[in-house]
Amino acid sequence: MLEKKVYEAFTKIVGERHISQDLAVMDTYAFQWCNEIEGAQRGEEPQRFGVRPLAVVLPESTEQVQSIVKLCNEHDVTFKAFCTGMGPWAGVSDPRAIQIDLRRMNRIIEVDEKNMYAVIEPYVTNAELQSELFEFGLMHHAQGAGPQTAPLASHTSFVGPGFTSPYTGFSARNVLGVEWVLPEGEILRLGSFDHSGKWFTGDGPGISLRGIMRGWLGTYGGLGVFTKAAIRLFSWPAPKDWKWKTSGTIPDYDWDVPPYWQMYVLNFEEWEEYQKAMYELSDREVTMVATTSAPEGLAALFTNTKQDAIETIFAGLLAKTRNYIVMLVAAHTQREFDFRTKLVRLIMEKYGGNDLIAEGVTTPMPMHYGETVRNMLGGHAFRFSNCFQSTHGGMDTISMAVRLAQLNQPIKQKYIDKGVIGDDRGLGIWITSYESGHMAHMEAPTVYDPTDIESCLGYAAYQDDCNQLDLDNALGMPFFIVGDEVHNFYAKRAMNYPDWLRKIKGAFDPNGVSDPSHYVKGVEKKK
Amino acid sequence: MTLGEFEDMMDSCVRCSKCKFIPQLVIQSKRFSSICPSIDYYNFHAYSGGGRMIVASAYHKGRVELTKEMLDVIYSCTNCGGCEVSCKWVYELEPNEAIHELRVAAVEAGAGPMPKHKKYIELVERNNNPYGEDPEKRPAWLTDDITTDESSSTLYFVGCTASYRREEIAVATAKILNSAGEDFRLMGSDEMCCGSPVFRVGDEKKAIEIMKSNIEQFKETGIEKIITSCSGCYNMLKVEYPRFVEHDIEVIHTSQMIEEFIEEEKIKLTEKVPMKVTYHDPCHLGRMAEPYVPWEGEKIEVLSQVFIYDPPKPVRRGAGGVYDAPRNVLKQIPGVELVEMERIREYSYCCGAGGGCRSAYPDFALWASNERLEEAESTDASTLVSACPFCGTNFKEGIESRKSEMDYFDLTELVLRSMGGGK
Ligand SMILES: Cc1cc2nc3c(=O)[nH]c(=O)nc-3n(C[C@H](O)[C@H](O)[C@@H](O)COP(=O)(O)OP(=O)(O)OC[C@H]3O[C@@H](n4cnc5c(N)ncnc54)[C@H](O)[C@@H]3O)c2cc1C
Ligand code: SF4
Ligand code: SF4
Repeated sequence: MLEKKVYEAFTKIVGERHISQDLAVMDTYAFQWCNEIEGAQRGEEPQRFGVRPLAVVLPESTEQVQSIVKLCNEHDVTFKAFCTGMGPWAGVSDPRAIQIDLRRMNRIIEVDEKNMYAVIEPYVTNAELQSELFEFGLMHHAQGAGPQTAPLASHTSFVGPGFTSPYTGFSARNVLGVEWVLPEGEILRLGSFDHSGKWFTGDGPGISLRGIMRGWLGTYGGLGVFTKAAIRLFSWPAPKDWKWKTSGTIPDYDWDVPPYWQMYVLNFEEWEEYQKAMYELSDREVTMVATTSAPEGLAALFTNTKQDAIETIFAGLLAKTRNYIVMLVAAHTQREFDFRTKLVRLIMEKYGGNDLIAEGVTTPMPMHYGETVRNMLGGHAFRFSNCFQSTHGGMDTISMAVRLAQLNQPIKQKYIDKGVIGDDRGLGIWITSYESGHMAHMEAPTVYDPTDIESCLGYAAYQDDCNQLDLDNALGMPFFIVGDEVHNFYAKRAMNYPDWLRKIKGAFDPNGVSDPSHYVKGVEKKK
Repeated sequence: MTLGEFEDMMDSCVRCSKCKFIPQLVIQSKRFSSICPSIDYYNFHAYSGGGRMIVASAYHKGRVELTKEMLDVIYSCTNCGGCEVSCKWVYELEPNEAIHELRVAAVEAGAGPMPKHKKYIELVERNNNPYGEDPEKRPAWLTDDITTDESSSTLYFVGCTASYRREEIAVATAKILNSAGEDFRLMGSDEMCCGSPVFRVGDEKKAIEIMKSNIEQFKETGIEKIITSCSGCYNMLKVEYPRFVEHDIEVIHTSQMIEEFIEEEKIKLTEKVPMKVTYHDPCHLGRMAEPYVPWEGEKIEVLSQVFIYDPPKPVRRGAGGVYDAPRNVLKQIPGVELVEMERIREYSYCCGAGGGCRSAYPDFALWASNERLEEAESTDASTLVSACPFCGTNFKEGIESRKSEMDYFDLTELVLRSMGGGK
């Protein structure tokens, strides 16, 4: 429990309705998906309940956040902020920590149509922001975690691959400026805002602090609190009077597909052809989506229930599916559409591919178009067993992604043979290209049973093997590195970069109150 | 089911927050994206469907005790089922069922329900209604121009709220039945509460006693068909009763009955009712009205870690509620223009009254009705229509509190108006 006077001081800031220290309420913050895996990796009994915060506060303004942070410094209380709070990195790690739940800060502050950016508060979700941008003919980049998660969390604190990544890149690339409550409570606005009142650039006019603020991976809440973010927007390829419209009833909704949209599932017998086609499709900027998964994954992408997905598998989908790319050509005009679809056909033919949609092997319904652009397809993977986790993968070139996938297969198969993880024949991966260029993201989503200790331990061991694989084969940097130990694991092969992260952490957070959990602990921690 | 039987399911929550929103694909605007009035009002994660499931899990594992605040978490939920619709979009989890089980466990532990609930349960036991009204006055709404037939095997089960608080619905329903030439009887002063307010707050033992006693009464009087104008009663009689007490009595809601009367030309809607209306799906007539289909079979591991059910197990997603009947009726009233809100059918936003919230958490219930009214107003409709006296009561209070210019009517009232007042 927090000391009475400290609790009262927090209460004074947010008001009685917006603070709690009830154990049951705290447990809903301690509980996180995959805590059981992290526990298993630490040699503890796997369980979803992690560290309980001592209190949860719900501030409604930057000023309140600032006061909370200052109070934390005064009373040696650690804090961790989150937006929607999905994943172990959102929880606290210090037993003397409070959780700052930013749910009440949920405004879209500005949409600058001309300069193509939006300024948002923490608890604006991807689906909410997207639905408000159509009238401007704009869209944003949404991380694959899902439409119910917050773009601010991803843009400020994660790498953030998503389904529209070939077009919109990844979150880290799209943050233009932030309002940032530093670990000691000072407010810093990055970018052009203080200079011009506009947020069109995240750098300057002085030195750029974007690298410190989030670096490559993001700081997972370990370096203060972001209270606003300006994020880059992209042209939405549909007429401005087009409306997001659904009809029907769950689980089979209908959705109005915009005029010049077409999905493909290009399938290539061998990785080599796949790789060449992926490079060329990216280079020619023909597709908004370029996603690869296992054949089993394809069964889940374009069905609406687990039963249907399994039936699709047993109906023979696997035999007809090899290395495929789910693509979405989304054009503004007929001419653009004709040009792009022609290019897709030519590239497919050039590398000896076939289109699984044209051949009737898989059939996306209109609602699956909607789910694709709303970043909902990742969620379908949960249909198989209510749970999966992904390896730390890599973020490098398209060819590196392919290499990772190939090397990952036998390792995964080993754990499948032990019966501790889901059987996708070792092919379960997610690859997406980035920014219509040479870059790609790769991770290996893996089904496990969170309620079975053997399965949790099995998955944890598999993940450790994958990390070792990265090092042994120089597979580039993972897109996801969590906590001091994992950073240390990669340090020697990467110029001891965590030392620099620790220096930053120490300089910005001298009292060590911004809960480092999945980031790094600072070197100069006075506590 | 017991909490223990939910353990694996509770441990599988991803804490993804999907249950705070309507299914993601159907979100059309930021303003009306949420599904859970409770998290919207209270904000702590514990007040969402997923949050309550974690609380249930923590309680089951002995991590927490039933504190005053935890009881508030458990009971400030309208049991509207919205969270479950959104969760089941992806997962095989049942947050709303777990919440109910947690309430049952709280009652068994002697901590639940809340004092206001305990009080109305006493009234139900003493007066057969939660309002504490005189049972003899139950049929006081009955006017001289209504004809009933005590030998009929069709019962109009009026329910406590229409009997004592929204008499106009009882009158309209009876008059529509008369106009259609359909015989029906009432239980009059012998009618008993359906048990909904008792069941919903987790006093399952008493609720089952009520169910049994009601079914016994229906059987003794030879009832073969029950008509209800209340969504809560409909839900109990149609969906919950069969889980605890065997009966083969047909149960229909007034909206279905009226749809049938129109189709069979038993009534004619001739008078113009010129108004732009929007329709609110009551949770208990909508997503919660989907029956539980009994299932027996096996869980088979088809791929490593992946199980299916043989034969396929029906999933209660909320698609099987009564959605079309009230809309079909409204569309046939001359002059009525029906415009839809953003959140409809299985992803309708709750009025805020259910689950014992109106009595124990009136501020929250009123706030939720205001939320829904704001959405109704955003359609430019002049009138909000629904098909539940309890929703109606909460909305009427909401309309008053926000000084809204909207009118509220029950479906039966508009139908009666279009029939020229009935016979
Ligand atoms: C099932 C699952 C699938 C996922 N898939 C993907 C994926 O495909 N692509 C991807 O990029 N990511 C993925 N993730 C990771 C996910 O993107 C991040 O957890 C996050 O961006 C999701 O948004 P959120 O609102 O839940 O973030 P939160 O959980 O709220 O926050 C994420 C992290 O950022 C920190 N943070 C958030 N807001 C602030 C703030 N205002 N100030 C300071 N720190 C803050 C938090 O402390 C936390 O460490 C996945 C996670 C899960 C659980
Ligand atoms: S039943 Fe309704 S009020 Fe209760 S948690 Fe679920 S959505 Fe919220
Ligand atoms: S109950 Fe379902 S939707 Fe809600 S957080 Fe848990 S898994 Fe997600």
